[in-house]
Amino acid sequence: MRVGSVYGVLLSLYPRDYREWFSREMRTAFEKASEEHRAQGRAAYAGLVLAEFGGLLFGAAAEWIAKWTTNSSLRGRTLPDLRNMRPVGVPRDVWFAGAGADAPPDELLEAEKRTEFLVSRIVHAIASHDFEGARSYSFEESQARENLRQLHERYGIGE
Amino acid sequence: MILASLASKPRHGYALMKDIQALSNGRVRLSTGTLYGALRRLLEDQCIERFEQADTSREKQAYRLTSEGRRQLQLEVDRMKQLTRAASARLRVKEV
Repeated sequence: MRVGSVYGVLLSLYPRDYREWFSREMRTAFEKASEEHRAQGRAAYAGLVLAEFGGLLFGAAAEWIAKWTTNSSLRGRTLPDLRNMRPVGVPRDVWFAGAGADAPPDELLEAEKRTEFLVSRIVHAIASHDFEGARSYSFEESQARENLRQLHERYGIGE
Repeated sequence: MILASLASKPRHGYALMKDIQALSNGRVRLSTGTLYGALRRLLEDQCIERFEQADTSREKQAYRLTSEGRRQLQLEVDRMKQLTRAASARLRVKEV
């Protein structure tokens, strides 16, 4: 297993909101430090890797403790929990009706996206005088729309 | 040390690690886990703020001191000066 992969696994131990904010930066900083220490020799690089892995384990534990013990309104000043935010593509009324708890499932969102995508392809095909393609997309779109209707029915969400 | 490092200019994560090492003559080497945990706390306390640096380096997110951060740093510097003065005074008494 490569060192970068182990670093990624250890990063995944952190709370999700923390990862959303810092994981990319932390990876970049680790990569830069690795490049520098590799040039200094194996011992220096091994020392860095051990210190980093230890730091991540300790840091992840500290972040979970902070998350559990700190008032969420205080954390929310700078570190919003992205799970509580309305995702792109979820209508405002649907999201706030359930305050996030009853948000539409992923497969429903995917089906909506797929239908929208196919509509845009039909429009594009017609604009490009590709009527053969437009017919094909139209067939797919009607299937996607039917699938979407069934999902709406299954989850009890009005269209 | 993070506040002291940011007092002169904004820096991104890796630059902070390097500068803190230089500030402490190599005695303090922060790991990324330790550094970003501290940055998170300083962000929460509104001592520093994050902004996007308009350069082409890999690290675009940088941190700078806020007025609250500068005030906290000044308080810490005053506290350390006072401690140093007290310790020096006691040393002088011992020598006499």
